[in-house]
Amino acid sequence: MIVASGLTKTYGSKTAVDGISFTVEPGRVTGFLGPNGAGKSTTMRMVLGLDRPTAGSVTVNGRRYADSPAPLREVGALLEAKAVHPGRSARNHLRWLAATNGIPVGRVDEVLDLVGLTEVARQRVGKFSLGMGQRLGIAVALLGDPRVVVLDEPVNGLDPEGIRWVRNLARRLAAEGRTVFVSSHLMSEMALTADHLVVIGRGRVLADCSMSDFIAEHAASYVLVRSPQRGEVADVLRRHGLDVAVHEDDELRVQGLDAPSIGELVGKNGLYLHELTLVRSSLEDAFMTLTADSVEYHAATPAGIAR
Amino acid sequence: MTMTPISRTVELDPNRNVPGIRRPGFSDTLRAEWIKFWTVRSTQWSVATLFVMGAGLTVLVCWAAAGELASETADEAAAAFVTWGLMLAQIAAVVLGAMVVTSEYGTGMIRATLAATPSRGAVLAAKALVLTTTLFVVGTATAFAGYFGGNPFLENEGVGVALSDDGVLRAMVGSGLYMAGLGLFAAAVGLLVRHTAAALSIVLGLVFVVGNMVFLLPGAWGEWIGKLMPGNAGSAVSSAASFNPMLLDPWVGYAVFIGEVAVVLLAGYLVLRSRDA
Ligand SMILES: Nc1ncnc2c1ncn2[C@@H]1O[C@H](COP(=O)(O)OP(=O)(O)O)[C@@H](O)[C@H]1O
Ligand SMILES: [Mg+2]
Repeated sequence: MIVASGLTKTYGSKTAVDGISFTVEPGRVTGFLGPNGAGKSTTMRMVLGLDRPTAGSVTVNGRRYADSPAPLREVGALLEAKAVHPGRSARNHLRWLAATNGIPVGRVDEVLDLVGLTEVARQRVGKFSLGMGQRLGIAVALLGDPRVVVLDEPVNGLDPEGIRWVRNLARRLAAEGRTVFVSSHLMSEMALTADHLVVIGRGRVLADCSMSDFIAEHAASYVLVRSPQRGEVADVLRRHGLDVAVHEDDELRVQGLDAPSIGELVGKNGLYLHELTLVRSSLEDAFMTLTADSVEYHAATPAGIAR
Repeated sequence: MTMTPISRTVELDPNRNVPGIRRPGFSDTLRAEWIKFWTVRSTQWSVATLFVMGAGLTVLVCWAAAGELASETADEAAAAFVTWGLMLAQIAAVVLGAMVVTSEYGTGMIRATLAATPSRGAVLAAKALVLTTTLFVVGTATAFAGYFGGNPFLENEGVGVALSDDGVLRAMVGSGLYMAGLGLFAAAVGLLVRHTAAALSIVLGLVFVVGNMVFLLPGAWGEWIGKLMPGNAGSAVSSAASFNPMLLDPWVGYAVFIGEVAVVLLAGYLVLRSRDA
């Protein structure tokens, strides 16, 4: 379990993480979602005691990370995948890491096998592709068979097969009862992986809820209603306690009742409808809307391609 | 869509896949740094360069200078030549010392190091121990190899130097001591600047350029600054007879040098402890 309370980090005048509090529970995958620059990596570095919080605190299994007697056996982390000396082999990289926490060398070969790097284990890491580097990073995270796993953007640079592999791995680790904390800037990825969601933007928590609650709340669908008698229709619907918003082109957006019932209600009042459509908002749209004010650098293209 | 699972936390046996749990101690940190040190080629290259340059140049210079040293006009002590190669080989010690620290910052690996061993003091102590032990052994071996390779040329001309001669054995061991101190100095500067090229420029600049130029400063204080510069103070211990009459006595100089290294190392440690990784 990871517990952050009032966690804050400023770099000079820049506030990267702004007093966030959240809990990452064991037994489920908690997605840490936010646009680039939101403060995800900074938060994770503070979890591992690498960056010192300006204010607030964070504990892992009830104590500061640095107070763990054998941290690699308690918390496994993937931070930057390519943070490995390019001249060292994958196996030697894992060997020295294993030595720090008294982990037997046999485990090194085990995790190499687990991530599918056995055949290239003795090659220099500098020759690895981004995907292979990412796999090595995951091997590092699993080295101590930790109860808490922290993965910062683990699917970056992976091909679709690799992405599925990471997704299944995260889910399996959680099913084993471990605490799994995975960051991403992609809503679509989180929707498939996470049970719980902590959404962050400009260093603040924007949402902290179950994935299903998030979908229900932020990707709420509405019924689009068009009528030549817009005003009367809106009055009728409002009288029945529905939430009606007027948009351009005589468009009414109605929430609180399904489309057939709205149609019947309007018909019973002798009014005409020209259009009655259920509109489902996509999750990606919901995420964009939620974080719209907190995105640091808007992409120049309207599509908003994430870096 | 995935649903929130009902709480079904399973207690894991922490030793399920990784048996033999034991609280890691300093010996584990030391072993990790030892593996890390020897599993990159730059270490092997630096050590080989130190030995080949240090011993090889000594032999070469003894061979070339023997005749001159034996002549009537000789004004330099033959003993000054038996560790001559170390003057250049010290560059390799500086490179090795700086890289032990700065390569971790260059690659970002320092974060893996400090996540695995949160005690930053332990990490630094282990690095320092691995580095200085290696440099002491290699430096001393290099000095002996140069002596045994070069001295026969001097003996041929009748100006041979015996190990029992004044300061010769001290220069052998002193070469190891000076290499170790210099490597540690470079590592400490590396902690402050976190950048390979910057650390190398600063240390090599201080030892080779500034160290020699300050003797040009006028008056007694210029002379003293010259004596106290790290390269000047520390190197006297590594030669049996000095080319430079201005230097401090070998052991006094080395003590001054180690004091300077300790100050920079302490500053480096404070930075390592307080700054974000
Ligand atoms: N070491 C640092 N020095 C200065 N600013 C930093 C540093 N690390 C991160 N930042 C800034 O903090 C903000 C959050 O960064 P980061 O945690 O990397 O976000 P994310 O991982 O969500 O993309 C960004 O604006 C980034 O530029
Ligand atoms: Mg990041």
